[in-house]
Parts: sequence; structure tokens; C-alpha cells
Amino acid sequence: MDDQRTTRMTRGLARPGTAWGSGPAVDDPLNADDPLLAAIGALADEPPRRDLWPGIERRLHHRRPRSVTMTLPQLALAATLVMAVSAGVSWLALAPPRAAITPETPIQAVAEPAGPVRPDVARANFADAQYDAAVADLEQILRDQGEHLDPQTVMVIERNLRTIDEALQQARAALDADPANTYLNSHLADARRRKLDLLRQAAGLSGG
Amino acid sequence: MPVDDVVLAANGDTAAFERVYHAYLPRVHGLARRMAGPEAADELTQDVFVRVWQKLATFRGDSAFGTWLHRLAVNVIVERFRRLGTARRRFLDDGEATLELAHAPARSRPDLRMDLQAALDTLPEGARTVFVMHDVEGFRHDEIAQMLEVSPGTSKSQLHRARHILKAALGARK
Repeated sequence: MDDQRTTRMTRGLARPGTAWGSGPAVDDPLNADDPLLAAIGALADEPPRRDLWPGIERRLHHRRPRSVTMTLPQLALAATLVMAVSAGVSWLALAPPRAAITPETPIQAVAEPAGPVRPDVARANFADAQYDAAVADLEQILRDQGEHLDPQTVMVIERNLRTIDEALQQARAALDADPANTYLNSHLADARRRKLDLLRQAAGLSGG
Repeated sequence: MPVDDVVLAANGDTAAFERVYHAYLPRVHGLARRMAGPEAADELTQDVFVRVWQKLATFRGDSAFGTWLHRLAVNVIVERFRRLGTARRRFLDDGEATLELAHAPARSRPDLRMDLQAALDTLPEGARTVFVMHDVEGFRHDEIAQMLEVSPGTSKSQLHRARHILKAALGARK
């Protein structure tokens, strides 16, 4: 905020009952003899017609003020969990599509199903509209509110989100090769849930 | 208002926060009403004070409390526009209504302040928001454009539309 406007606002605030600002911004001012100037100067603030305090008071105790920096350990823990998920998905993506055969495993002849996809196993829905909308909303809140968060917290959140996104990408790539793999589907769903949880947590921190 | 109330409220004292609320209520409500209209003003005012309560611990006293509160209130109101997905629509939908309002017959009111407030309430939403932010609250076009996610040119054109309508309305009421 520029000093000139800060000064105007502060001056306005020093006069209870007047408008907060004290006139047009400097980049496109009204003429000194413009009747709008007088009308703006005559604007006054009026309280609401109903008592708003009870509704505010009820909401105060739903979310107590809290320190953002206190949540860094939680975010660090989340990062560790996400890394574990990512590593698991990466391993699955690189591992053979069938379970490993150990020396103790008896080898049996089984009939392979026709075609590459088992139709009885549904692939996780990547394009779930509600999920995408929720993620988009939360990301928007985070963009809007990010400035209110500690920069270190923002950095941790962004790093976690990148890790989850990488895990999601790897899971999707692996599922392209083996769409019916229930294990990969489960990990994909888990990564999606973690992303949503992390975004909700971050949006909550930012006050959104 | 004693500065102590802000400190007490920041430490969780709701009685002190209620005193802060009463001290700033008319100004927050006036801002919300001018920016968002009378229908949304009450709810937005409540949203602002809830946000103030949540953020009080971050107020460091680098600026006057009222200045900090003002900025936060504007942010809460603009966020509401964005969250409801109305930020862009408020500007895109204004179009022809502006011209109709400019020629609408005005009611006779003797009070200049009431004239402007009443005229503000009839403005298209986008024009009203820009007018209040620029001419009343003192934000620059580039700041308005950034907050409302529109171009500075849109902010300028909405401001000039608003001024045109308001001057016509005030002139008709003389």
C-alpha cells in the first residue's frame, strides 16, 4: 500500500463517522469542482439495522486464533507421509505387474483372462468433477490467501503438493500400463485423498 | 477505542473483541454496503469481524489498527466476489444496464449523502465496486485490477461509467 493512500486512510480513520477513504485515488482523480467530490465527502457510515454480534460471537469459537508456525511440524509429518506414498507408487510403477514369485511359491498353471484389462475391476475415476472442483476451489483459496501465511509454511505446502502431484502422475502412468491393478488404483485414490486433505489443511491455515 | 482492547482481543478476550467490534462496526458495515450492496452488507460485516478475530494474532502494530482492519475488510469482500465466481461476471454483465440507468428518472431527495448512497445502490455491481474502491477508498486502478482479477482498462471503463451514471443521477435530483 502506498504511503499516500495509507495517510489518507489513517486520516479518515481518525475521524469516526466518516468514510474510510478520503477521496479519489491519485491515478484518475475527479476535478476539484466535481459535484461527486462533495457527495463522497458527505458519505457517512451507518450501523446495520439488526444486531450482528450474536452471529459473530457464535462463530468466534468455531475456530480459535492460532499460530501458523505451530503447524510446521504437522506439515513436515505430512511431507514425510507423502514421500512414503510417492515412493510406494514409484516402486509399484517400476515393479513387474504380477506378484513376485519366491522359491517357496508353488508354480501353478492358471488360465489368463483374455485381453489386457480385467473388466470386473474398475479403474479409479481420474476426472471426477466434484474432486476437480474441490481441488480447484481450494487452490484458489490458497492463491488468494497465501500472502497471509508464513513464507516457510507456503514453501512446505507447495513442496508437499508437488510431491503428491508427482505421485499422482506416476500412479496414472503405471495404471496406463496396467489399468486393472487394484493396488495401483488404491494408491491413486489415496494420493488424491491426501492432496485434498493437504489443500483443506492449508486453506484452513490461511483462514479460507 | 483503547489500544488495550486490541491486545486483549488478540489474546482471546471476547469481551474486549466485542468492544473493538462496536468501535469499528459502522465503518466496516458502511464499506461492505458500498462495495457489495445492502443485501450482502450484514453477512459480509460478520465475515469481516470473524476474520479479524482469526487474524488478530498476526497484527504487529506496524500500521494503525484501523488501516490494518480496512485492508483486511476489503480483502474479505473481494474474496467473496471471487469465491462466488462473480468477480468477472460482475463486469461482463454490466453492459447495457448502465446506459438505461443513466437515463432513469430520479426520485427527489434533498440530502446529498442520501442521494449518493441511493444512486450507488442502483449502480451495476461492477461499476459500483470500482467506484467505491477508487473514488471512496482510494485504491489505484492497478490495485483494483489485481484484486478483482480484471484488466486496468476494465477498471477505468467501469469507473467512468459509474461516474457518468452518478453525476446524471445527482444532477436529476437537484
